[in-house]
Amino acid sequence: MIRFETVEKWYGQHQVLAGVTGEVKRGEVVTLIGSSGSGKSTLIRTVTRLENVQGGKVLFEGVDVAGRSVDINRLRQRIGFVFQAFNLFPHLTAAGNITLGLERLRKMRKAAARERAMTELHRVGLADKADMLPSRLSGGQRQRVAIARALAMDPDVMLFDEPTSALDPEMVGEVLRVMKTLAQNGMTMVVVTHEIGFAREVADTVWFLDKGQIVESGPPAGVLDNAGDGRLRSFLSRTC
Amino acid sequence: MLQILKDNWLLFLIGQYPHGPVGGLAMTVFLAVLGLSLSFPVAIGLALARLSPYRWLRAPATAVVYVVRGLPLIMFIFWTYFALPLLIGHAVGGVETLLFALVVYEASYLSEIIRAGIEGLPKGQTEAAKALGLGYIPTTFNVILPQVLHNMLPSLVSQFVSTIKETSLGYVISANEVTFAASQVNNQLMTQPFEVYGLLALTYFTLCFTLTSAARWLERRLTAERGGLGVQLA
Repeated sequence: MIRFETVEKWYGQHQVLAGVTGEVKRGEVVTLIGSSGSGKSTLIRTVTRLENVQGGKVLFEGVDVAGRSVDINRLRQRIGFVFQAFNLFPHLTAAGNITLGLERLRKMRKAAARERAMTELHRVGLADKADMLPSRLSGGQRQRVAIARALAMDPDVMLFDEPTSALDPEMVGEVLRVMKTLAQNGMTMVVVTHEIGFAREVADTVWFLDKGQIVESGPPAGVLDNAGDGRLRSFLSRTC
Repeated sequence: MLQILKDNWLLFLIGQYPHGPVGGLAMTVFLAVLGLSLSFPVAIGLALARLSPYRWLRAPATAVVYVVRGLPLIMFIFWTYFALPLLIGHAVGGVETLLFALVVYEASYLSEIIRAGIEGLPKGQTEAAKALGLGYIPTTFNVILPQVLHNMLPSLVSQFVSTIKETSLGYVISANEVTFAASQVNNQLMTQPFEVYGLLALTYFTLCFTLTSAARWLERRLTAERGGLGVQLA
């Protein structure tokens, strides 16, 4: 579904992605682990073209996302993206955050959009918070609204960029639970995370990135438990 | 002073109306309100053009803003007074001239406030809108501008206050606002300039002070509720 072909990216002199090649299949849950600065966030941001690449290709269902004929806004509607800092629209209620895309992009009527928003909020357990502004919600609740907002667009794949890193520890669980349910229902997911436990439990595949390259990849049991490579072993010993 | 007020309060308030054109304080407020309302969409256009990735949009907008902000308003009013009739081919009254000059002038200043507001929003807002698949128009008008304008409300009020004061320059081109009315009264009485202009000062001060106080109150309220508006936990 998503293919990275020797993807390269520089920030000035600094190379963040140094020839990443890999594939995410439909229905698969891939988690990206690695220390900060290893390029994992940048990598998933290239899929929805929040970052452009300078070398190689990112293919979504066989189509180069940087291609001239690609309608990027249409493509982005098929790819849900969840940010570390939630990035909810603070002037809109929880439901308003969700209906905006439905009304403006799906051309849904207000009532229908509202109904859909309620369905999604219900799915993340926040139906009772529909009319609250984000400032009245806790971090975990905000992130769940952000997930609901992405899901409302019926994406083919969900990308998560460190979805729990900005949360207080006691709120991490509620967000991970939502994500776990999503995975169990067959959603294709790419998750950048520091939650090794989540990777072990939910992921089909783990990619360990270091210095802009996938150094190790495979099923979590194999990658995480038999960390042969020195860099992964030292990373795991620091995070676990 | 009271006698002057008693004899001329109507002239101060509404000019020679109904025996002549509306003027006085009514015209001042009218000019300020209309000037600011008309300049608002222009300012948004200028700000967006200034932030545009396209040079052919950015360059002229930047030029306009810099030129206008580099000129004293009085000079700009003279310019308009002499240039506007040439451009459109017939005479233009004082009020219209002043209004035009005010709109362009205020728009240049407002556009800088709006631009700063847009640039001050967290980058994540645009990114989240992009990631949803929203294009430029809905991102700008449904996500960015509502937040910017909300945060801008206090500066808008202070801009309104300076606009009120700036309308007094209309006096030089005989736009019959309140300063013009005061000078008419002064010409009639001849001997009491301090009293007449004292009344004028009091009028401006009362109006502007009320508005600045309102702005301060508004600002406090916005800061209080801004817990999650504009600023988000990063």
